[in-house]
Order: sequence, then C-alpha cells, then structure tokens
Amino acid sequence: MTLAQAVPGTRVRVVGRNRGRRHEANLAGLGIHVGDEVIVVRSAPFDGPLLVEVPASGVRIAVGRGMANGLFVEPADE
Amino acid sequence: MSEAAVPRGLEGEGPLVALIGQPNCGKSTLFNALAGFKANTGNFPGTSVAFTRSDVLVAGLPMRLIDLPGTYSLHPYDAAEQVTRDFLLSGQVDAIVAVVDASVLSRSLELTLELIETGLPLVIALNMMDDARRKGITIDVPALEARLGVPVVPTVATRGHGVVQVALKALHASRTRQSGILPTYDRDIEESLGTLIQAMPAELSVRMRVPTRFLAARLLQDDEAVRQAVGKAHPEVLTLADTQRRLLAEMHDWPEESVFSSHRHAAAMDLFEDVARVVRRTRDGWRERTDDVLMHPFWGIVGVVAALGGLFVASFFVGDRLAGVVGAPFEALMDAIGDRADTSLVWAMTRGLVEGLAGGAGIVLPYLVPLLLLMSFMEDVGYLPRAAFLIDGLLHRIGLHGKSVIPLVLGYGCNVPALMGTRILETTRDRVITALLVPLTACSARTVVILALVAGYLGPLWALGVYVLNILVTALVGRILSAVVPGHAPGLLMDIPPYRLPPAGTLARKTWFRIREFLVEAWPVLIVASIVMGALQFAGADDWLNGLLAPLTSGVLGLPAVVGVTLFFGILRKELSLVLLYSALGTANVASVMTPAQILTFTLFVTFYIPCVATIATQVREIGWRWTLVSAALNTGVAILVAATLGRLA
Ligand SMILES: Nc1nc2c(ncn2[C@@H]2O[C@H](COP(=O)(O)OP(=O)(O)O)[C@@H](O)[C@H]2O)c(=O)[nH]1
Repeated sequence: MTLAQAVPGTRVRVVGRNRGRRHEANLAGLGIHVGDEVIVVRSAPFDGPLLVEVPASGVRIAVGRGMANGLFVEPADE
Repeated sequence: MSEAAVPRGLEGEGPLVALIGQPNCGKSTLFNALAGFKANTGNFPGTSVAFTRSDVLVAGLPMRLIDLPGTYSLHPYDAAEQVTRDFLLSGQVDAIVAVVDASVLSRSLELTLELIETGLPLVIALNMMDDARRKGITIDVPALEARLGVPVVPTVATRGHGVVQVALKALHASRTRQSGILPTYDRDIEESLGTLIQAMPAELSVRMRVPTRFLAARLLQDDEAVRQAVGKAHPEVLTLADTQRRLLAEMHDWPEESVFSSHRHAAAMDLFEDVARVVRRTRDGWRERTDDVLMHPFWGIVGVVAALGGLFVASFFVGDRLAGVVGAPFEALMDAIGDRADTSLVWAMTRGLVEGLAGGAGIVLPYLVPLLLLMSFMEDVGYLPRAAFLIDGLLHRIGLHGKSVIPLVLGYGCNVPALMGTRILETTRDRVITALLVPLTACSARTVVILALVAGYLGPLWALGVYVLNILVTALVGRILSAVVPGHAPGLLMDIPPYRLPPAGTLARKTWFRIREFLVEAWPVLIVASIVMGALQFAGADDWLNGLLAPLTSGVLGLPAVVGVTLFFGILRKELSLVLLYSALGTANVASVMTPAQILTFTLFVTFYIPCVATIATQVREIGWRWTLVSAALNTGVAILVAATLGRLA
C-alpha cells in the first residue's frame, strides 16, 4: 500500500518509492528514508497532506498527497 | 548588510565565517546574537533567503559573518539551497559554523558530514540544547568532537548561551585551518572516488579551495555546479564520472542520487547512537494538545481564519487608540500653520514636513507596531507551516503549491521578503505564479490605509470585508494564472517544527528591526515626498498631475480628481497615498469631502494597484522584468476592475 492509504495513528515502514521527478527527491534530506519506520500522525482537510513523524529522529514532516501516493509502505509492528 | 546570489563585495577585515544549517535550527537567532541584532530571524523554513552579512568584533578581533539560507543537504532542491551551495564553492569561505539542531540530531548530522567533506575549517554549534534536554536526549559532546575531529560547542541561541564561544572557536579554526575527519565510504565507493580523483584536474581544487576528493564526490552525486566547473575544460572527466555513478548505482541497486545520501544517513545514525542517549521520549503535553486543535481538519481551518482575522482586528483596535493619542499634537501643529501654507513656498514646504512627520508617527506607526509584533509572534511560534499544512489541499484545488501559502501570508506583512520567500518553491512555474500573486496581497502599508480609511470611516467590519475580498480576489487570480501557466504543482514536503515560545526579547528585537526599516527607509521618503507635494501644491503643479490622471480617478473610479497625485506618489510608498490624501483634500476628516462609497473605492484601488517601488525592484530580481511588467499590468487591471465595480455598488 502507499503512505496515502495509511490510517492516521498507525505506524508503517517505508519500503520503496516511485522514482521520477527529481525535484521531489528531497525526502531523504528532510529525514524520511527507505527502511524508516514512520507514524502517520494526522491528515489535513481537502485531501491535503499527511503529518508524518519519524520516531527515530523526532522529525515531523508534512507530506503532500501526491508525494504520499508515490511512497510504498507496509504496516510495522508496534 | 548585503544581499546577492553570488558573493561579491565581500572584502573586509577578518576571516569570512559562514553559518550553515538546516532550516529552523536557530541559525538566524545565533547570527543575530553575534551580529548585535542587526538582522531578521523567523521560525519559518526559508525566511532567510538571500544571505545576510554582518561584520562583528569578537574579543576585539574582526570577523565577517555570513548567514546563509537554511539547507537540508548540499544537493540543492530549491533556489535558496542553491545560494548556500554556490557560496560554499566560491572559494571565499574561511570557516564554517555548522549550526545543528540538537533536538533532531541524527538528521542534522547528515548535513554536518557533508560539510566536513568540504575540508574547510569547521565548528559545530550544537544549538537547541534546551529542546534536546526536554525531549530526554543527552549528548556526549567530547565523544562527538572525537568522532568528527572538530570543536563542538553546545548553545542555546535564544538565551545567548555558548554564542561567544562559537565565534572564538570559529576564529581559531580559521587560523589553524584545521578541518574535520573525512568520512570514509564503502570500498566500492572509495574505489570509484579514487579512480575519479586520479583523473581530476588539480587546479580546480586550488581555485575552489576545497579538496579534490570533495569535488570528485560531488561529481559522483551529479552536482550541477561542479559539473559545470569541470566540464568546460575536461569533458572526459564528466564521462568518467557518469560511468562510475551508474556503476555504483547498479552495484548497490539504489537510485543513483541516493548512493551517497544513504551512506551518510547510515553514518549519521551510527554516530547518533554512539554519542547520544535518549532517556525518555515523553509526549509533549501542551504542544501535542495544541496541535490536536490547531491542526484539526475543521477547527484548524477555523483557527487559520481566526488567527488572520484576529491579527487585523487587534491591530485596528490598538492602532486606533494609539493614532488618536500620537496624532493629536500634530493636528494642533497643523492647525497652527493653517492658511499660512498658501502664503509662501517655505510655509507650504513646512506644512509638507509636518504632514510627513504626522503621517509616519500618527498614522502609520500606530497600526504598524501591533501588526508587526503579532506577525512576528505567529512566525516565530511556528504557526505558519501549520497554516500551510491545513490550506495545502485547498490550494491544490486552485492549482497552487501548498508552500505558496508561506510567501502569501508573509505578503500581508511586506511584499518584499514575501517575494524573496518564493525561493522555497521548487519549480519556476510555482515561483512565477506566487510572485505574481504576492503584490496583490494587502501588505502592512496597505493595511494601514485600509484600517485608517475603511475601518476608521466605515467601521471595522467593512475593513474585514476588504480583507476577505482581497483574499478571494488573490485566490481567483491564482486560479486563473495556474490554468494559464503550463505545468503542474508538485507535492508538498515541509518540515513542521515544534512550537517554540519565542522569548519576549527575541520578539521585540525582530519587531524593532522591521520597524527600524520603516523608520530609516520609508519614513524619510514619506517626509521628502510630503515636502515635495507641499511645494507642488504651492506651484499648482499637482493640478496638472491630477488633470492627467482625471480620466482614471474621476472618470472610471468616480473619485475627486485631487486624489490623482496621491495615487501617483503611492507608487513610492503605499502609506504615501494615505498621508498625502489628507493634504490633497486639505483636511484630516476625509468623510467631510468623500462619500463612504468613494472612500471604499479609493481604498480598494490603493490595495490592488501597482505595488511600491521596493516590491517592483525585488520582483525584477526574482522573476525578471518581463514578468514584472505582466505583474504591474495585472495589478492595475485588477485594481480598476475591483474598485470601479464594487465602488459603484456600494
Ligand atoms: N528553545 C530554543 N529555541 C531556539 C533556540 N535557537 C533558536 N530558537 C527558536 O527557534 C526558532 C527558529 O529560529 P531561527 O533562528 O529563525 O531559525 P533559522 O530558520 O535556522 O534561521 C525561533 O522561534 C527561535 O526563537 C534555542 O537554542 N532553543
């Protein structure tokens, strides 16, 4: 499934990403890497972004829908 | 202070020390603490877009301090990050102060590792130590120093802790030219690097003052700037780099661009685990609960509306009171001058002078001070990224990028930094559209006009209405522009920093800095223009200008022709339209000369027409003069349309 499909409040692991547009490639810079566990904290209205927390570093990032659609995740055990 | 995309005019005494860090690490706060509070700070990714320079004396020794835009890595994804990368490769930097947010240490270390690879003398300012402690993170500073081979100074920039020490260590490092321990990569990466280093021309490293190894690594990461520097004379090196890069990606089964970043990530995580201990990770009670409300899908939106509405309502009530108090003595002075202004040029110009003084002190400042104070608070506390988060979905519906909210909201303070703030947008399309929209937003100068005229004579609710209209018109124009300008808006990706209660001192300093800008840059213009206006009136030249503009003012807009000259001068500074209105009409009681409908029309026109010269100049720099012309035409068109139709209806 993709990050966009993850239910707010759950913990998932990033397993891969849609490659492509280079200007969208800064996920790593902001602190989300393939293999990372992330918590989907909340989502914004009007099909807006998701607020994602990376527990390992404590970083919180808003990830837009389009971007979230291109990130593949799997449920992570608590 | 200076601004430029490429370092120029950097000569001066003492070593050049560059502050580099990820957005929101507290870099500007540290810079200000060192610079004696000469510059601006903001809790907003990308507030400091062009670099700021300050010459400081530390323990009697000179140092040229440069605050570079925040960057997540040395691989630039937006224009602001490019400024930082280019500066670093300019060969001018004598030492780096890497500002690290200790509360998100592992992520910050990735950039630090990249910076160490430049081989430049480096000092780490381990900032936000208080935040880190609050989160239960303890850091073994000597261990970090030992692993990286550079001095590490724990700091709390907001309280000034450790700040002087950072500067002293940076001075020392620039003299000893001691750099950190270069990170090593996997064997295959090292082999690729070795092959490339052999082929690299040596002069490049000398010219750019960075090690060949760093340049080779940048080439393997497809760094455009280094490619260009190498490419001209040595195309064969580029071919070799491309081959090696592809080879590495295949070997690791990774996308080409993440071979190095994945390594740095792993190295940073290792380092973090070795030097830091996370004792407990308590959920931040009040911060979490605040976000439950302020980022709530429904209440959050209510909050955005309330915050923006509250900002203007509060500014009005405070401003209105202050204006009455401060304005009174000037009124008396004006009365004393009275008709004498018509008797001689000197008296006419004196009246202009008093009007200019009164306009600044009695009209502009009372509204400006509360507005800027509240805006600084919203910015520093970390509310703006949250507003962007909430509105992103809506903005995408009208074809815009959620990050555009940031420059647009900043535009309500001042269009100039807002235009510079468009650099955080990744694509040219978004930058152009946003930069065309920013001049439509009612900046604080125009807010003053709205508050003084519409709120003052028609009532605060009308003023709020003008605001809502301003937002709706901006959104509508945005919708149209995004349909016309080809391309699509990429997804949002934005750091959401924790709420930080800015210390009152920091807030006061920041507000003071912005007000000082008005005092030293705008007010003199206001006064001079006011004097010129007095002289023009005496000579009767304002009639000529008014006649020239009459087809627009009295023809299309149905205003008294005497306002023509105020609109003309309003292009210099928007407040001038207001200040000069009083003298053009010959009274401070506008309602005695203009009908409410005319007041509304005038204000709407002033709100939307051609932005001030400072905005125009910034726009030329940001998006070129062609788009600036488009923008001026757009603004004027919208202004005429809105003012003429709504003024007639009212
Ligand atoms: N708690 C805490 N807050 C800080 C510290 N340094 C800066 N801040 C705050 O962090 C926010 C971002 O700082 P700023 O200097 O604008 O960050 P920049 O984006 O890196 O320039 C502001 O609200 C500062 O008041 C610090 O050491 N501790």
